[in-house]
Amino acid sequence: MRSYGWLFDPKRCIECSACEAACKQWNQVETGVNVRWRRVLRQESGTFPNVQVTAVSMACNHCENAFCQKVCPVRAIWRRDDGIVLVDTDRCVGCGQCHIFCPYGAPQLNLATRKTTKCTMCFDRIEQGLAPACATVCPTGALQWGEWDAIEGRGSDRLPGMAYPRQMRPHIRFVTEPWRS
Amino acid sequence: MITRRSVLQGAGGAAVLGTLPWNEAFAEFFERSQAIPYPPESLVTACGICDSACGMRVTVKDGTIRFIQGLPEDPHNEGRLCAKGTSSAYIRNDPDRLKYPMKRTNPRKGLEEDPRWVRISWNEALDLIAEKYTEIRSKYGQEALLAISRGRPPWFARLYSALGMERVDHNDLCYGVDIVISNQTIGRHTFAWDLENAKYIVLFGWDMVARAKLSLSNRLLHAKENGARVINFNPMYTATAKFADEWHPVRPGGDLAVALAMIHVLLKENLYDRDFVSQYTNFPEYETQIREHFEKYTPEWAEKESDIPADVIRRIARQFGSTRPAVAPLHKKTLAANYENAAPLCHAIAILNILAGNIDRPGGHYFPRTFEIPGLDAIYRPPAYPKLPAKRVDGREKLPLAGGYGMFSTLADGMLNRYPGRVKFLFWNNYNLSSLPQRRMMEEALKTVEFMVLVDILPMDAMYFADVVLPSTMFLEGSDIIVREMAAKSPFAVVRQPVVGAPFEAKSAAYIAIELGKRLAPDYFRKADGSWISPSELLDEQVRRSGLGQNFADFRKKGFVAGEKPFIPATKFATASGKCQIYIPAFAAKNYDPLPNWRPKRDLPSADYPYYLITYLPAAHKRNSTQNNPVLFEIDGTPYVHIHPSTAARHGIRDGARVRVRSRAGEAVGVARLTETIRPDAVAVPHGLGHRSPWLSVAGGKGFCDNDLIPAQTIDELVQHGNWLGSGCIMDAVVAIEPAV
Ligand code: SF4
Ligand code: SF4
Ligand code: SF4
Repeated sequence: MRSYGWLFDPKRCIECSACEAACKQWNQVETGVNVRWRRVLRQESGTFPNVQVTAVSMACNHCENAFCQKVCPVRAIWRRDDGIVLVDTDRCVGCGQCHIFCPYGAPQLNLATRKTTKCTMCFDRIEQGLAPACATVCPTGALQWGEWDAIEGRGSDRLPGMAYPRQMRPHIRFVTEPWRS
Repeated sequence: MITRRSVLQGAGGAAVLGTLPWNEAFAEFFERSQAIPYPPESLVTACGICDSACGMRVTVKDGTIRFIQGLPEDPHNEGRLCAKGTSSAYIRNDPDRLKYPMKRTNPRKGLEEDPRWVRISWNEALDLIAEKYTEIRSKYGQEALLAISRGRPPWFARLYSALGMERVDHNDLCYGVDIVISNQTIGRHTFAWDLENAKYIVLFGWDMVARAKLSLSNRLLHAKENGARVINFNPMYTATAKFADEWHPVRPGGDLAVALAMIHVLLKENLYDRDFVSQYTNFPEYETQIREHFEKYTPEWAEKESDIPADVIRRIARQFGSTRPAVAPLHKKTLAANYENAAPLCHAIAILNILAGNIDRPGGHYFPRTFEIPGLDAIYRPPAYPKLPAKRVDGREKLPLAGGYGMFSTLADGMLNRYPGRVKFLFWNNYNLSSLPQRRMMEEALKTVEFMVLVDILPMDAMYFADVVLPSTMFLEGSDIIVREMAAKSPFAVVRQPVVGAPFEAKSAAYIAIELGKRLAPDYFRKADGSWISPSELLDEQVRRSGLGQNFADFRKKGFVAGEKPFIPATKFATASGKCQIYIPAFAAKNYDPLPNWRPKRDLPSADYPYYLITYLPAAHKRNSTQNNPVLFEIDGTPYVHIHPSTAARHGIRDGARVRVRSRAGEAVGVARLTETIRPDAVAVPHGLGHRSPWLSVAGGKGFCDNDLIPAQTIDELVQHGNWLGSGCIMDAVVAIEPAV
């Protein structure tokens, strides 16, 4: 069965957070409870004036071998046939094991409900033939989404400074080529 | 969406990766606009948060907005939206929204007073306003009337004109200076640069991409894709700097020195477009003066004012002069353009573009091609409007060449000191107090007003001074025809339609203006046959006369209309001489500088205030208007004060600690963010946030307002300082910092 993934080009990301806003709107994620399924992370390096900033829009990477799923004591996390990793909030007891083991900070505790929530890859949109909300609005196309088969061979599997647990096989690739090569 | 098929059809699959330049290897991923799927039942409309007015597709389910995405066919935003537009449903559904007309019952005004609002009906509210207006006008005369409002919507503009009300808007705080300079130099002010075809782009101060006016940031993105070289001067490393090939942390206010020195080099080495300059500019006429004038502005001199090495300036000038097409865009509120030296800076940048021969040429600065939509006054011709008082409260008549409407930076002084007690009737539409320099002064001024009407969608701070409050609709609830001038290379019109109804009793601006007009100036709101003019009829007429469809309903069905116009470069320019004017004779006649001279910004570091204040625009906000949006507040709600680590160490300020920023005009407390992305002699804060109204449940009392740090001005100061075009200097301050407990 076909699965999906992300392609991200950090040099195109303008740190506008449209991806995060779109995610909130489509998924009706509550505000003010410390839950941001998608977030734009920013990393500075170097010293003034030779400074560099890398921004990455990060959500769940729907890993093929998801640690979050492995460690969940009540089996509240499962991976669908199409590779989308979901949390069953009814089962979740909010123990936070998945938060510790996911290197991307994807599972987050909703402070109001004390349950874990995270990116669903907008499976409900995908089922209607639409792309996930975040990738639909990203103004520069820095964040792209598509069939994993097509993305997997592309770009690089890691960015400097980003966690890369080889065994987990996160479904994300990065365009690391400069503007002109 | 990326599919296996598209990849295989593309550059030949993964095997050739590494041998192709990235833009070919990944080309298919970035073929964007047409590939964005959207639900077929979604409605077309246009965003109303910033002037970019991006086309939108809105999915509505059971009467509520489910999702907002870009309109794929819109050439401006190419199917995408920024965070503000994407989350605008949160403004629509804000539980804090004004719901009913209300009147104050506590006569004492001020943020510490509870106005004790009482709900009234629309008729009562409108009658009360009409009664007060009539009373005040007959008692104190026309000079007692003032509108603090934009000229849009046109309905309000007509109301103010018909009632003979003086109007003030944020002209001086925004791009007023640039408009005057553009009119004098190239004949027309535009926000249009053909960046995607430019080969060399110099951005002074401008954080173009983080402003997220997508029509502009998309153009810069394409410029990069097409291999343009981008140079950015800015004391702070921004998202734009990341796009740039070179980032130069210029000293605040020093942009002008760099621009002057670039002109010096271009003239000295004759690196300008000779055909264009000799045919279409007044350079031949004033050549000796111009050459002499720029003689003194050598790169070596500029180095001392800007901290940019002379050889770097010389190299950039040479590259700019010898790469075609090259362009130096300038936009409002760049870090440079709202200093006291904004006028010569805008002038110098206009000259750079003229010398590059790029005015209305491919790859350069062009005049937008748009549909001509006849305005309200063209369709319903009004009787002659009453003459406005000669002496304005803000004193703008003292700056005869300054353009636009009014001056926020001198208004409070005018109301309190120059003409104390003159303004008795005030109509306040959709501005917020935190937009004004020294809002506390303005609050004092508002206390002297006898009767104030406020039209808004949210209970902003200004409401504490209002006598009647009218709730208005927002853009997702109204109808309009949107043609935008920003970056319009060919005509495009998109509909704005009510995707959801108005909440509670909110009414459109047209309703408010017409109802007040009927009561106070009926002749201006009647048609020839005696019936009242109507907003829906106006739209029908506008659609019909501009060829967008048979009527508004028809246009609404289409959603948008794209026009074709071949690009014929201008050969005549709308200046006094019909040519691009490097030397401005009208300025010479007024004893202003006909050519840009060096002058520093207003406030310079001193022992008491050792650091430059830099204000930046957070990408996720349209200043105070979006601060109460919970999604945007969560993305960017902390009032960060950006400080270089070495500077912070000197004052014992740690990352994440509270820090007090003081200027000669006031102080503010924020959270320190230590960063290498800023000059050690500068401190950066976000611009225009900081509400105090506790009626705003998300933003009230949060953040700080940079305008508390910005000194207000008097009109005499402007005149004395030779600030002839009236820059509001809203970024011009120096500060001290210390840990706050
Ligand atoms: S990114 Fe984290 S939450 Fe998502 S599947 Fe992988 S381990 Fe689980
Ligand atoms: S895929 Fe959907 S749920 Fe996941 S981050 Fe994007 S918008 Fe949010
Ligand atoms: S929407 Fe795109 S450009 Fe904006 S922050 Fe997200 S990934 Fe970056």
